[in-house]
Amino acid sequence: MNQTSGAAATDGGGFDPRQAAAALDQASWAARRSFAPTPPALWAFRSLVAIVGCGSVWLSVRDQHPYAGPTAPYVAIAFVPVVINIIWSSIALRRAGTGVSGPVQRAMRIWLSIMLGVWIVAYAITAPLFHATEGHPAWGWYPANAPFIIVGLVGAVGAVVLRVWPMAGICLTLALIAGAAGFAGPAGSWLIIGIGIGAMMLIGAAYTARAQRRSIVGS
Amino acid sequence: MTTEELDPLIHVPTRLKIVATLAALPDGDGLSFTRLQDMLELTPGNLIIQLRKLEEAGYLASEKTRNGSTQKTTVALTRKGRAALGAYTQALRNLLGGLDMSATSDEADTEQITF
Repeated sequence: MNQTSGAAATDGGGFDPRQAAAALDQASWAARRSFAPTPPALWAFRSLVAIVGCGSVWLSVRDQHPYAGPTAPYVAIAFVPVVINIIWSSIALRRAGTGVSGPVQRAMRIWLSIMLGVWIVAYAITAPLFHATEGHPAWGWYPANAPFIIVGLVGAVGAVVLRVWPMAGICLTLALIAGAAGFAGPAGSWLIIGIGIGAMMLIGAAYTARAQRRSIVGS
Repeated sequence: MTTEELDPLIHVPTRLKIVATLAALPDGDGLSFTRLQDMLELTPGNLIIQLRKLEEAGYLASEKTRNGSTQKTTVALTRKGRAALGAYTQALRNLLGGLDMSATSDEADTEQITF
């Protein structure tokens, strides 16, 4: 300590403690914002994606007896925000991860690669299954919720193995929402998933915004 | 408590920002020199000087990797660095608590006189 105090004095150290507290908080806030792979605005947008995407599909299927699946125009409406979400997420992820390296960053990249594969596999498995059974498979396993259950469970297991704890919680919640949506039937499950995931994403937006603005010194 | 009890290595604006920025990363993860420089808007020379001081104290570790003709430097906060920031933050908190209390006591004194 004694060796360094002289150096600090010549570097302009010893600045006011209040200024130091403010500088510490500002640097932490800026860094948290910069390193966040999912900023609060993106969480909020994903909420909109879930509500608009699943909501539009639900509007097209709610009066179907028997259930025949969403019609093409509604699927197109649902896919526009999904595509925007994918583009925005890729940009945010790239920006946050630029220049960052280490075990946690590596684990996150592996987990994301696994998730990308699982999304593709989940739809590749479930789509032919539903066509083969005319969209009426048993046990609450519907086109709306089945891919989310698969993705949620595999994602949660992967996140636990890689120790990416927040993602484990999010994936498990996703699987639970999708599982619960099965009780609403093939059409109703779209609505439950839209509202459930929309609410989860809004909570994510609020939590991220709060965590980013948390004061280190004030806590 | 006085400002002298604050770690003089961290209690410098530039180094405080460096340590706070690296502490925002998960334990063990590092940041490239260029990204850190962009984030803090420092000149390379100034950043090198400050990083060297922190590295000499064992607060951060740097790693140089060569990719073809380009060399990349990555810096990461060590456990000792994280602990030092934690201790610094706690000292700052205590100090500010003391300052607030003395300010409140001054206000109370003033009120008593005015009353």
